[in-house]
Amino acid sequence: MASAATPADIQQIVSVPISAHAYNKDRTKVAIVPNSNEVHIYDKGPDGWVLSDTLKEHGQLVTSVDWAPTTNRLVTCSQDRNAYVWNWNATKRRWDPDLVLLRINRAATCVRWSPAENKFAVASGAKTVSVCYYEEENKWWVSKHIKKPIKSTVLAIDWHPNNLLLAAGSADMTVRVYAAYIKEVDSKGSAAPWAEGRLTFAALLAEYDTGALGWAHSVAFSPSGGLLAWTSHGSSASIADPVSKQVETVRYGGLPLVSSVWLNEDAIVAAGHDCYPVLVARRSGRWEYIDKLDQQTKRAPSAALGSLAMNRFRQMDSKAQQGKEDTDLQSVHQNTITEIVRLSDDRAHVSAFSTAGVDGRIVRWEVKGF
Amino acid sequence: MANTLRPYLTAVRSTLSAAMCLDNFSSQVVERHNKPEVEARMSKEVLLAPVVISRNENERVLIEASVNAVRVSIKIKQADDPERLLCHKFTRFLTQRAESFVVLRRKPVEGYDISFLITNVHTEQMYKHKLVDFILQFMEDVDKEISEMKLSINARARIVAETYLGQFIN
Amino acid sequence: MILLEYANRIIIETLRERFSNPITTSLNIADFDGVGYRLSTPESKTLLVVSMRMPCFGELLQYGAMDVLRREYGSMLEATPEPGFEVTLKVDIEKVPQDYSDREALIRKIALLKRNALAAPFEQAFDAQIDGRETPLMAIHYRDTEVFYVKAGTDRVTVIFSTEFKEEQDRILGKVFLQEFVDARRLPQIQNAPQVLYTNRDPPLELRGQPGLKDSENIGYVTFVLFPRHFSKEKREDTISKIQLFRDYLHYHIKCSKSYMHSRMRARVAEFLKVLNRAKPEPVNVEKKTIAGKTFKRS
Repeated sequence: MASAATPADIQQIVSVPISAHAYNKDRTKVAIVPNSNEVHIYDKGPDGWVLSDTLKEHGQLVTSVDWAPTTNRLVTCSQDRNAYVWNWNATKRRWDPDLVLLRINRAATCVRWSPAENKFAVASGAKTVSVCYYEEENKWWVSKHIKKPIKSTVLAIDWHPNNLLLAAGSADMTVRVYAAYIKEVDSKGSAAPWAEGRLTFAALLAEYDTGALGWAHSVAFSPSGGLLAWTSHGSSASIADPVSKQVETVRYGGLPLVSSVWLNEDAIVAAGHDCYPVLVARRSGRWEYIDKLDQQTKRAPSAALGSLAMNRFRQMDSKAQQGKEDTDLQSVHQNTITEIVRLSDDRAHVSAFSTAGVDGRIVRWEVKGF
Repeated sequence: MANTLRPYLTAVRSTLSAAMCLDNFSSQVVERHNKPEVEARMSKEVLLAPVVISRNENERVLIEASVNAVRVSIKIKQADDPERLLCHKFTRFLTQRAESFVVLRRKPVEGYDISFLITNVHTEQMYKHKLVDFILQFMEDVDKEISEMKLSINARARIVAETYLGQFIN
Repeated sequence: MILLEYANRIIIETLRERFSNPITTSLNIADFDGVGYRLSTPESKTLLVVSMRMPCFGELLQYGAMDVLRREYGSMLEATPEPGFEVTLKVDIEKVPQDYSDREALIRKIALLKRNALAAPFEQAFDAQIDGRETPLMAIHYRDTEVFYVKAGTDRVTVIFSTEFKEEQDRILGKVFLQEFVDARRLPQIQNAPQVLYTNRDPPLELRGQPGLKDSENIGYVTFVLFPRHFSKEKREDTISKIQLFRDYLHYHIKCSKSYMHSRMRARVAEFLKVLNRAKPEPVNVEKKTIAGKTFKRS
């Protein structure tokens, strides 16, 4: 099976790192965090992305942003210990923030809407995950905490497709699956195979030690919810099966992978410090590292400067080298990829994904051959 | 000796590349703080095991990595007094210019001659692979520079002595 | 400029000017080893007084400095020096020779005042050795903490410098330099040069029992062994001039080496900064402003 992903659209949006990004439902808008306390919203124009809005409410670096496709709400969280839900105010043509009562005293690291969009979870340095929902009578977002037995900063979270389970990867080198059923907003549902019987909020359903593999940078449930994958600092991806209670770990020779998404039930794409996405897939029943997906042989067209004499002189003066040839990496991204997001509504057959990098680029990748 | 230099530098390069995978990480101990964990040392689980790469007993590199910063300390070869003097002068010269060398630590880690502190801010603003290149080129050039300086001082001393003594016979 | 001049350049130039154009003068000049001069015209514009202050002059007097000075300067030498000075010469500008080379010779002679005063112990030792006599060890405390010693033996004259390196850096560099002095005689072309011995901390045998020897890692002793061939009639003047300046020569070159190192390091650091700059991405399409206030993008 010849599978490949091609960079279909490379956009140098900013010249600072992009800490996080999220798209709206029809991918005509993208929210990015330009490594600051602001969130920028770009609209797709005929000549690329155009800045349309700037969301300023946070006081410190915004660490994560998520866009709920159906309700068209944004949620952002920041190292200032706060999270905001942003609603589009059509009359005033602006995004209005709603403070969320997170009740945490350390930085928030990651935020994700639940699939049903009626709640979201915020991971934090307070060694907690706050699961937030809207309280109609008081008209505000409140939160419930999952605390035990997390021993360090939670770095990543992901919702199970059934809207009831939550996976959290943390710096104590453990990945955990919790019940995030909230009786105020959720109807009862089945959580098999992860849990049987009645769910109680914050119940620990599974715990996986990454062992010597280090901090868990990303967690992701498979499209069916039957498997859980995570990537850890020891340059590996692991896939856990709750039925067989097996964990398969795929060692990957490069640098740590910090973000991952499932393409379908048998393939995961992950990326991180190596500046290119890699494919991990199940072949004849076993998970293995397939290849990097960025098959660039020549250097990416950098947003650089022509061969003007002036530039050469400037190069010589500041860097003691002539061209900028040996600066560029042989990949589309020129620095660490910070986040991968899915660009398809169909979780089971993802045909495109997007990567954002420290180099300030956003790249849309089209997937073929799956 | 030269044949041990390559593997030594290669080992340093791979270790550094792996250690330089840094994230923005806010302190989980002090509220609203964001400090290099390798310096703050307040959360054990976000520090990685330090690695020492030695070429011989006089030359080694200590790489201490953490979730958001890596500290690289270099012990420069100093075989004799003049080399010690040159090394001392050189490292002092550099540390006095730490502002322009954003990644330089003002005070070397004990037991080492010079230390660099590279944080996630540096890897965000600069190309990480080029930062690795910089440290390696630094290691190579410092040795070269010190031995060249030593040679030139010896050469000067020789000329000075010969010229002076030569006066007495002409 | 590898070698140092042993005549005082400022005195030479000042005298040259004053001799052709006498004006009222009051000038203080410094020389090596704490020696100071004053050039003044207290009585009239044409009567120039040159006085020298020299800390070790008392010792030099014991070794016959007055005889040397009287021989060199004759009637110019004042019997009583100006207060605060050790030697005073009086030059009547109206009587300086008109002939260019004679005049230059006079100027040079005055500029050699320090050298001539310091020459006394060397002359005594050389004379004694030629006569086959030994002399006691003559110590000249020419600087605060540094001394040189001259002694005539039966077949040689030994000159020992004690020199202090105030800084660790100087000590290390000094050692490198002095080692080269010791080794230089291995070269065939300077085999006949005086033998040089160098010890650190431990004084050489000749100095055993001398009072006031400091026991310190920073003190070095350099011994020159001069044989009669080094102070034959034609050579002795030259030898005296040069050996006097040994300490200054050494320290001058140590300082030069340090400044060389410094400028080299500066260049290397600039080089390192450029390597670090390679890690910084190019700013993309930055908007620039012209002086007229227009903005443009450089592509």
